[in-house]
Order: sequence, then C-alpha cells, then structure tokens
Amino acid sequence: QESMTVSGTVTDGNGMPLPGVNVLIKGTTRGEQTDFDGNYSIQAEQGDVLVFSYLGMQTVEYPVTNVNTIDVVLEQDAAQLEEVVVTALGISREKRSLGYATEEVSGAEVNTAKEGNFINSLSGKVSGLDIKKSSTLGGSSNIIIRGYTSLTGNNQPLFVVDGVPISNQNTNTSDQTSGRGGYDYGNAAMDINPDDVASVNVLKGAAASALYGSRAANGVILITTKTGRKNEDIGVTISSGITFSQMDDDTFVEYQKEYGAGYGPFYGPNEDAYFNEWDVDGDGNDDLVVPFTEDASFGGRFDPSLMVFQWDAFYPESPNYLQATPWTAAENGPESVFRTGVTYNHSISLDGGTDQSTYRLGYTLFDQEGILPNSNIKRNTVDVKATHDFTDKLSAGVTATYTNTDGKGRYGTGYSGTNIFQSMRQWNQNNVDFEAQKDAYFTTGRNITWNYANAEAGNFSPIYTDNPYWQLYENYQTDVRDRLYGNFNLNYEFTDWFSATGRVSMDTYNDLREERRNVGSNGVSAYQRYDASYTELNYDLLLNFDYDLSEDLNLSGLLGATARRQTFREMRASTTGGLVIPGLYSLSNSQNLLVPPTENFEELHTNGYFASASFGYRNTFFLDATARVDESSSLPESDNTYFYPSVSTSIVFSELFNNDWMSFGKLRANYAEVGNYAPPLSVQNVYSNPTNFRTPLYSVNSTANNPDLKNETTKSWEVGLEMEFFNRRLGFDLAAYQSNSIDQLMPVTVTAATGYTRRWVNAGEVENKGIEASLHVSPVRTDDFEWRINANWFTNESEVLSLYGDNQNLQIASLQGGISVNATVGQPYGTIWGTNYTYLEDGSGPVINPDNGRFVVDGTPQPIGDINPDWKAGISNTLSYKAVSFSFLIDIQKGGDIFSLDTWYGYATGVTANTAGLNELGNPVRDPISEGGGLLLEGVNPDGSANTTRTQMGNYANAIGYGYAPNAYHTYDGSFVKLREATLSYSLPTTLAERLSLTNVTLSAVGRNLWIIDKNIPYSDPEAGLSSGNIQGIQSGAIPTAREYGFNVRLQF
Amino acid sequence: CSDDLSDVNVDTKSPTEVPADVLFSNATKGLVDQMVSTNVNRGIFKLVAQYWTETTYTDEANYNLVERNINGAQWTILYRDVLKDLDEAAMILSENPDASLSEAQIQNQLAMIEVLQVFTWHVLVDTFGDIPYTEALDLENGTPVYDDDAAIYADLVNRLDGAIAQLDAGSAGFTGGADYLYNGDAGQWSKFANSLKLRLALRYANVDDAKASQMATEAIEAGVFESHADNAAMQYEASAPNTNPIWTDLVQSGRADFVAANTIVDAMNERDDPRRDDYFAENLGEGVYEGGTYGATGNTQSNSTIYSERLEDPTLEGVLLDYTEVEFLIAEAAARGYVSEDAEAHYNEAVTSSIIYWGGTEAEADTYLAQPEVAYDEANWVERIGVQKWIALYNRGFEAWSTWRKLDVPELPNAAQSGLPVPLRFTYPASEATLNSDNWAAASSAIGGDEQQTPVFWDVN
Repeated sequence: QESMTVSGTVTDGNGMPLPGVNVLIKGTTRGEQTDFDGNYSIQAEQGDVLVFSYLGMQTVEYPVTNVNTIDVVLEQDAAQLEEVVVTALGISREKRSLGYATEEVSGAEVNTAKEGNFINSLSGKVSGLDIKKSSTLGGSSNIIIRGYTSLTGNNQPLFVVDGVPISNQNTNTSDQTSGRGGYDYGNAAMDINPDDVASVNVLKGAAASALYGSRAANGVILITTKTGRKNEDIGVTISSGITFSQMDDDTFVEYQKEYGAGYGPFYGPNEDAYFNEWDVDGDGNDDLVVPFTEDASFGGRFDPSLMVFQWDAFYPESPNYLQATPWTAAENGPESVFRTGVTYNHSISLDGGTDQSTYRLGYTLFDQEGILPNSNIKRNTVDVKATHDFTDKLSAGVTATYTNTDGKGRYGTGYSGTNIFQSMRQWNQNNVDFEAQKDAYFTTGRNITWNYANAEAGNFSPIYTDNPYWQLYENYQTDVRDRLYGNFNLNYEFTDWFSATGRVSMDTYNDLREERRNVGSNGVSAYQRYDASYTELNYDLLLNFDYDLSEDLNLSGLLGATARRQTFREMRASTTGGLVIPGLYSLSNSQNLLVPPTENFEELHTNGYFASASFGYRNTFFLDATARVDESSSLPESDNTYFYPSVSTSIVFSELFNNDWMSFGKLRANYAEVGNYAPPLSVQNVYSNPTNFRTPLYSVNSTANNPDLKNETTKSWEVGLEMEFFNRRLGFDLAAYQSNSIDQLMPVTVTAATGYTRRWVNAGEVENKGIEASLHVSPVRTDDFEWRINANWFTNESEVLSLYGDNQNLQIASLQGGISVNATVGQPYGTIWGTNYTYLEDGSGPVINPDNGRFVVDGTPQPIGDINPDWKAGISNTLSYKAVSFSFLIDIQKGGDIFSLDTWYGYATGVTANTAGLNELGNPVRDPISEGGGLLLEGVNPDGSANTTRTQMGNYANAIGYGYAPNAYHTYDGSFVKLREATLSYSLPTTLAERLSLTNVTLSAVGRNLWIIDKNIPYSDPEAGLSSGNIQGIQSGAIPTAREYGFNVRLQF
Repeated sequence: CSDDLSDVNVDTKSPTEVPADVLFSNATKGLVDQMVSTNVNRGIFKLVAQYWTETTYTDEANYNLVERNINGAQWTILYRDVLKDLDEAAMILSENPDASLSEAQIQNQLAMIEVLQVFTWHVLVDTFGDIPYTEALDLENGTPVYDDDAAIYADLVNRLDGAIAQLDAGSAGFTGGADYLYNGDAGQWSKFANSLKLRLALRYANVDDAKASQMATEAIEAGVFESHADNAAMQYEASAPNTNPIWTDLVQSGRADFVAANTIVDAMNERDDPRRDDYFAENLGEGVYEGGTYGATGNTQSNSTIYSERLEDPTLEGVLLDYTEVEFLIAEAAARGYVSEDAEAHYNEAVTSSIIYWGGTEAEADTYLAQPEVAYDEANWVERIGVQKWIALYNRGFEAWSTWRKLDVPELPNAAQSGLPVPLRFTYPASEATLNSDNWAAASSAIGGDEQQTPVFWDVN
C-alpha cells in the first residue's frame, strides 16, 4: 500500500475552524492534531480509517481513499454536551443521571467582567441563588440558596475549590453586622481568584450536597479551577485589565440647597433666631455665627447677601479667618469627596502537559482603588496545579493556591463616625463646603471640623463629626490576610470498575486587622488590632466503583470516610484610655494600662462515614441513594453521632420516545436529610472575665450553654423537569422544593430574670418552599450570528413554624431606630418589626391627626417589613456575530424590605431634597402653615375623610423624621431592576493572531453595576446593607454603589 | 481517627470554676456602676430627678425610656449582671467553699451577699413594681411568674433581718480587697444593712405605719451610719476603664449632652444654697447659675449652667447609701412619730453633713439653715425634708426619684417637649412581652397597667 499525505480542515457546525482536534489512524497510536486554523496533515495509507475526535463533539470516522483532501465538519454531540458535571466530593457524574438540581456557570461568566468579590458575579445567573453584594470596598456578599434555614446559625453555603472545602467565615464584629459601626472585612470565600475559575457548579438542595455532610446544609458552591492541557507546547495566557469605578448618583443623597445649619429658629440671645450672636472679629459688635453644634439643616434660608461667620472663620490658616462669608449652599457638597477609583487586574498563566502529566501555574495581581480617597485593596494570587500518572493505575495530583490580600482604608460602616456617610446622610449642614474641609485638613494637618463643640468658649474640637478628610487620612484601617489552600490526592485504579482516592486538603489563613483613631479625633483615640488564624484539614478516603451488571443495568457508587480537623484562634487588643504619642499606632502607646485582650480558641473535629450507590437502567432510569453518619466534637459526648439518608431518582423520558423536536427530557425527584452540629463551645458552661477592677472579676456568662444538645436536621424534597427542544435551541429547567429544618441549635433569648439573656437549646422549625425556573433560547442562530437568551427566575417562601417553647418571637437583632429583625411563628424568617401607621377598621389610612397633620403612630412594635424578596430573576442576552460578542445581564428583584436609618434621621435633620422645595400649593414647604407652607401627608382623618391638614416642615420636629413618623414610613420595598453587567468582546481572527505569534487575542470592554433602571428606596442602592449574615433589611450610613467599567486584553500563545 | 472528640470541645480561655469573691466583686461593681451611671442608654436617673437636662437630643429628658431601651438596661443589668453573680457566689459558698475559709467567715460572706441582694431587689421593685422574684434566677424556668411588689418587700425585710443577725463583727468577710465597699469589715456591713433597713422602713411610711415604725426603731437601735466614713461607697480609679462611669460620659466621650436643669438650679438659687459652686460650674460667670428648661430644646452648654468639675473627676466615689440620707431618714421617722428622736436635730445634721460632704463649711450650713425657707418647720416637715433631701441627693438620682415619689416634694414640672409627668415607675422592658408574655400580661394587669404613671405599692398618694 502506498503511503500518501492526507490533509484538510476541521470545522464546527458554524464553520469555525477547530484547533486541537485529534486525528488518529484507527487501530494505531499514530495521530496528529489540527492547528490553529483547524488544518491537519497526516501520512496515511489507503484503507486506513481516520478518526476525528474532539471533546464535546461527535466523533467521526473517514476512510482514506485516493483523495488527498478530507475536510471534516464535527457536530456538537447533544448527548455529550451536557454530559458530565462535577458533583459532591468532586465526583464527575453524567448530568442526566442526577435526581437533583445543579446549575453550572462557566468561568468566562465570572472572569470577564470581574468583581473584587467573585461571588457577586454569580448574581442573576443562577436560579435560587439570592446574592446581595456589599457596596463597600472589599466587603462581604450575602449568599443564600433556597432561603434561610437556620434561625440563628450560618445560612451561607459551603465553598469547595477543587475538592477543598474552604472557609467562608465572616469575622466582622457583632457591632459591625448590627450597624453600630466597624469595618466590613468581607467573607473569606472572596479570596477565590476569578481568573483561575474554570467553572462554578451550584448544588442547591440537600440531596445534591448530602455527601458533604453537615456543613453543606445550605448548599454548595463547587468551584473547579483551570487545569493544564495535555499539550507539549506551553500554553501561555496573559490577561490585563483596567476598570474605573465611579459613584452612582442614584445611590447617594440629593441634598436640599435652600437651608443651612440648625434644627430650627432656636438660637441667638432670645433662642428664637437661626444664628448665634457674639463678637467674633473683636470689633465690639456681635456677629451672626452658624450654630456649629447642630448637625442638621433646618436652619436659616440661604441668602447670599447675609454675611455670617462659618466654620472656616475660626482657624488661623483659613482664607476666611475671622471673616464673615455669604450664607449660601455649599458649592461642593459631600459628593465632592468621591473620586474615580482605578482597578488593575493582571494575570499570567502557563499550562501544558505530556501524556502522563499536566500542569498549570498562575499569578494574578488585583489592585483596586475605592471611590473614597486613601482606600485600596491589593491581592496577589499564586497558584499551582499538577497531575501525574505514575502508572496506568496510579495517578496523583496536587493543587495549591496562595493569596495575600492587603487592605487599606476600607470604608467604615453603620452608625459610627468612622463611616463618613453616617453624617453625610443623616447629620449634615448643607452649607458646609467639602472642598474647603479638604483644604482645611491638608493645610493644617489638623481635624478642622465644621462641627465645633463650643466655639464661643474656644473649644474647636468636634462635638460629633470629624473633618471627613481627617477621618479618611488619619483614622484609616489596614489589614492583611495570608492564605494557603490546596490538596494532595492519590488515585489508584484496581480494575476498570473499582478505584480508590485518598486526599488531604488544607485551608489555612492568618488575619491581621489594625484600626486607628488618631489623637484629635472625636472620641477617645485608639489603636486596635485583631489577629486571627484559621486552619482546616480534611482527610478523605473514597472507594469508587462503576460496574455494568448487565448490558442495561449499571451500578456505581462509593464508600468513604472523612475527618476534619479545624482550629480557629483570635485575639483582639486595644489601647486603653487613648494614645500617648499622636500617630503612633502600637499597643504600647496606650495612655493607661492595657485592658487584657479578648482571646478565643475553638477547635472542631468531625468524622464522617458515607456510602452512595447509583443504579442506571438503559441509561434512562436512574436511582441514587446516599447515607452518612457524622460524629462531631461540638455535641455532648453521649449524643454526638447522627445518621442521615438521601434518595433521588431521574427518568430521561426522551429516551422513551423518538421525536425530532424534543432533544432531551428528564424528570427528577429526591428526598434528603442533613444533620448539623452545634458550634464549638456551646455545651459546657464557663465564666466570663470582665476587665479587672482592683481585684480580679469573673461573672456568670450571659449565655447559658447546654450539656443536652443534639444535632439539628433539615429534611427536604424536590422535584424537577428538564427539557430541551429543537436541537437544544430552546430549553428549560423547573424545580420545586420544600425543606423543613427542625431541632434547631440556637442561643435563644430568655428573660434576664432567669439570670441569663441567652441559652443554647434545640428548638424550632423553619420551612422553606420554592420554585426555580431557568430557560435558554436562541431566537436567531445562523452561521455568523447567534442571539442567545438565558433567563432564570425563582421564588422562595419561608415560614417559621415553631420556636423555643411557647415563644412566638425570636429576635435576630435589635437595631437602631427602635426596629428589630425577627423570626416570628407564622411569619417568614426575617420580619422587620417597628412602629406602624394607624389604620381604620375598614383598612383605610394611614390615619392623620387633624390637629397637627402628623401620622397617628401605632407605637406597639409589629411586623412592618419582610427582608425576603418575593422573587428574583436574571435575564442575560448574548449577541455574537463572527468574532464579536455582546452580552448584557438584567438583574431583577421584587420585594425584600429595608428600613433606612438614613432617611429616619436625615428627614428630621432636613438634609435631603424632599425636606425642602415647594408644596402642592406652590409655596415653600418649610414656610409656616399660616403662610401656606407645610406638607400635606396622604392619609385619612380618624373619621375616614381625606386628610386636609398640612403639617409643619419648618424644623426638626416634623412629621416625616424620626421624631414623629412611624418606622413604617422609613421601610422601603427593596425591589430593583439593574443593568448588572455588559460586555463587548472581540477576538482577533486567528490568521491575524498567528501573525503576532499568538493563538488567541480577545479584547473586551466590560461594565458592572452600570445602571439601576428602577428602584423604590430613595438616595441609596437597595442592595446596600451592612454585612453578610442573618441581619439584613437595614441601611445605616449606606455606602453608595460604584459603577464599574473597563477594558481587558487577553492574549494566548 | 479515634481521638476522644469531646476533649477538644473545651474552652481553654475561660474557667469552669471560680471562687465566690470574684463574683461578689463583679456584682458590687456592676451594681454601683448602674446606680451611678448617667449614660443615656442605661441610667437616666439624674434626668428623671430633674437635676440635669439634655442639650440637642432630649428624648430621655422627656421620659422616653423605650427608644434606647433604658428600662431594659436597668432590668438586665440588675438581674443578670448583679443578682445572678451574687446568687452564684452564695451557691459556691454554700456548696463548695474555698477550704481556707472558716465557717464564721463563710457566714459573714453569705450575709454580705444577702445584703447586696436585698439592696438590688428593692431597686428593681422600686423601678418596676411587680417583678419575677420567687421563680427568678432559675434557668430551667424560662417564664418566671411575677410576684406582688409588697410581698417581695416583706420577704426582703425578713432576709435583711436574717443577714443582720448573721453578720459577726468579730470575723472577717471578703478579704484581699475583694470587698469594694467595706474591705471585708462585717461591722461596717452591719451598719449598712441597718441603714438599708431604715430606708426600707420609711418606704412603708404611707402603707404600714406600724411596720415602718418597728423597722425604723430596730434599725436605729442596732446602729446605722454615724458619719460619712460609714457610707456604702465605692472608690473609682483615675484611669479608664475603671473610672466613674459619669467621667466616661461627660469627659471621655467629648460630647456635651447635659446641662443643669432649671428645676434644681432655681430651687438652690431661691435658697442661696452654698452647694451651688460644688454642684455646678460657673461657666456663665462667677456666681451665675441658670439651668436649662427641663426637657426643652435649645439648651446648650454655652447658654446654661453645667455640672461642676467634681462630677468630672474620674475617681469620684459611687454611693449606694450615705450618712446624709440616713440623717434625713431619721428626721423623717421622728417627724412621723415612729422614733423618739429630735427631727429638727437630725434634719439639721442631714443638711449640714451634705454641705460638708460637698466641700462646704459648718458656718455655711448654719447660715443656710437659718433662712426661714430652709429652717426646719415642724408643721411643714414634708416640704422641708422633701426639698432638702432632694437637693442633697444630687448625683444620687435613683434615691432622689424614689423619695420624691413618696413625699411628692418638690413639685417637678412635666418635661417641656413631651409634656409627660415624671414617671412613677419604669415600664417593663419590651422583651418581656415576647419572652414571658403570659406572666408579663398578668403582672401588667395586677399593677393597674404597664404604664409610667402606675405607682409602685408604697407610692400611695
């Protein structure tokens, strides 16, 4: 037989060349791969058969005849396309066999338009995933799958990266999470580098996550990182991006510009004027002076002809020192403090492999500036991943990721002077020019405030509020986190149907957080440091089998054991009584003897034993069962072992009919239980150690532990339907589920009359029910052009069925403004309680007091809001034409209430635009009612007739501020429609790329959080909260949202 | 992996056993802190008694106890941080005392714990009326019943008598500085217990003359405070965090929330009171004292008289009960005919001792007492004792408020902004309605409504 050269081009169904297609002469090991343009060339003989294979494509065979050119078109393999997904414990399963819902997000969806916290880039992309991003730089993202199941415990899912369970701990202080001030240091899973992510799988229900055991009770986010390819060439990928962040005006205060400092006409010698009077310039005459102590804007109407002494007349370096200036609105209001933040993201990776090995090495630098001055987060990530087949039977792998995160100037949060938005939103003087404040700080280096404590007596220290630039440049925080996670694994294949895997995985990190308040600030100067270290080791042994019992019947499964060893230690220390030397931040620079640091050390050991079996009949009927036994060190010795099962089934009914239009159809159902253990140190009672007085002090702990605790349990069922039509141009996935979490482990609040305020118990039941739907459709698909829509929608309804004993209410948090977040029997988890409007018996209202035009407030705390959204949806559109692709994502939330402490106070201090302007008569609303001013509230008189009484808006004691409005007035529907993400990408034609010695060049323009198309809450982003965790539904000093847009270049060679 | 799992679930940073004295010390400090505090989140008795009023933010001066959960703080601190620690200390002494303690010393320590418990319980009753008592301090009973306030008082009197009988001046009490009030001196504790008994006796004045008379007589005979050296007082330290809590709020906070109220300043101006420069600063000019209108807005530290530097002293002692109060109590008992003492003499001694305590002289006191509107007036003893005791109890807001409720002197105006009268009790903390709802509801109806104007049992007119 004569040898000849056969060549040709391999393309996909759209005519795009396919590089890297294996071209093999059947029955031999001789083969080639197609090049970048899909071209191949191979020596063959007539009669040989060429096998063209490529992952995700149907394999085709062509006999070699006397023709030298064979062009091949590979069609997508419908069966393979969806075939394999990563499930619990990193086990790859055929998706068709699964009796539960999993949803996959590709790496490109999280690493094109990148977020500092990669969790945010899942928002709107997965049905059932309720993500609430933080507006603060490097802040935590709250992520809830299928509702809050635990009354007081952790409700965040488990994160697993390449088989390594990694900590998603949030160690923000309770003051921070409840809005009393502090910094949001984020949740630990944000260390995951989006550039390394190959895919994200979301395991939503208990059946999907059952093999992970207790800690997966809230679902699992499974992340698979990129792997090296078996390719002798070195694959190099370089990606470089720049992103600009700018404050979204829709999420900040619109200030009224008609009135300045004061609470009303309460000043001057007769306490009836808008200004104080004393002789400032020493000319013997009393001068008009701004009431500096008043952090409000219900003062005098601006009048450029009125000359008054303002804050900048009182420091010698001021251009206006001892000079009166016109009484006008600030030319540069608080919004002038924002800057354009610039973020750089550079990464390089090398990958490759041989027949036996693969490797990938990566480095990423993420360097983000915030929209406030002096704020920055820098993260370096180095990662390594390698596999090697030592023999046909023995293979091993190792992964390791090191991250170093350096933060500086994270924004303060909540009701605290460290959060400059607290005063900007709630306690501002609208006459204060913030550019002038900036000059004052930079000129003097001192804390020149607009809020002097007692200027007349020569006391120029701030009574409440520091100069914002002093705050940002002197009282900044810093933090460092070093983290290493990875695993080592060994696999041995005893036979083709039986193998064993051993794996050791580790996640360890150290945190150092330093917080400062310099001498000269409002409050006691201080330096505080927080040190924490976390280490988790998991040892897994898995025995896998996969056996065809007959031609039709397959049995696969595993037996496994796992041990987890976790330690967490933390220490918080602070100077006492202030700093001695200004600007020196060390514990030894303490005015007084140090109060001892608070120390905490917790250890948790758990052992798990599990088994699973899967039967498959004719690749059509599938049945899965799992069982797991857990032992936990955190439960009492006598009761520390518990068992839970799951069973799931799926029927690929499309196999049973043969028709053209239905490409795939599957019904699935499952039932699962997951047990959960107590947090460490909740069993044995200990004494607490208050700071020593003259002698040592100990006290009975305010929380009583409980030696009789047992595990809690979540029971759930789920049904689903998955269908694909018209060659998968249209498809949907529907799921319905219910879960009940019983015997909840929690520290319930008890009356202090017991001598305690909390007590650990097993009690209560929470039910969650929901429906999830996702849909994809390609309305247009031609050779060059495709328009693809992915949409998802979900709703979850929760109900608290019972609590501890006869209690009908469990307070999750008591918050400022007199509101609380609660779990109340018969209500959804997370109701906001507060004072309400009064309604008449026929439901009309709110009732207005005809004497003063104010709301008649029902002062009994009652449910006035629900933190849970009614539903959420995401719609993404992708339009691709040849090498250009444009996509955008609309993210929608309906419902989900928020109480705003910002408007609660801000309306009483007259800061916001709605507290001034004209009323319906066309008169200034702040004018006396006798002169046609005042506000007409919508409502009814006690007799049911429409309210006609206008209410005064001339001072702080108005009807809409915290003094006289019910909490309900400041509780807003958190609905929104957002243009979350838009990307435009262009890949250079391969020929052009090749001329540059590159295999691929992609240019992208990306944008995130570009536009809030619709929302109800004024002056802020409905997503702005305090921290991840169970305390949601409150805004306090809300941080404005940053719009982000940028450019990215990606080179592969 | 067969390591013993339960071994790792141990708190290696906190003790599971402690001696009684560290709990007793903590309870003492907790009690004194709470009685002294002027923090708007936990102790507003200086406002309630109208010694001070607030500047910009006037909710608390207007008797809004709910917004900042002030009633809840009083409840929680006294039950959880004071009574529970005392209870635990007594339990340790009874069940597992330190082997080095003699039986007599244990008995003394138990009696001292008992005296502080009685003190704390009576403060709780005086604040709220009916409260959980017989079923309180029991974790296993999450819904303790509320007991009748008069019944609690009756039991407290018995317990106090028991403690008085148990105290043995010949033996030691808590040693090593753990007793912040009397450094373990059982004799002093005996005087404190009797002085407390005298206070409780006079609480009964309008409801049970016989009981009041008997208790007062017994107490005085057994020996009450004889000078300020006997005071039940705790010395604070010069530096944070062990300063007087008042310093924390007035000085360390950097805020300017309080000014003197016109109510007391006017009363002292009318009487040319020599204590004005001790109580107040002369920030408006030498000899100028002008209080801010009680509860009104517009009061500032530049237009109103403020507190004196003495109140800003971090080491200022915190007082539970003092000699001046005892002298007023004896004067009142005498005026009521409960005891055969000279009412006028004790009244004069009360006023004089107060003036001297605050830095004045005997001569100032004599001049002061010589004024017709100050001099003891038998026909008008309620007004005289009421006004003078109120002035003397400056910085002792809780006792001033309680005395005012009983004597109804002086006239305290309604708060300017809210128009609310001075509370006659604190409403129950909001959490009681949800945590112990049935018992809370029953108690609310038993006392005549969970309102600020529902009087406690001894406040009958």
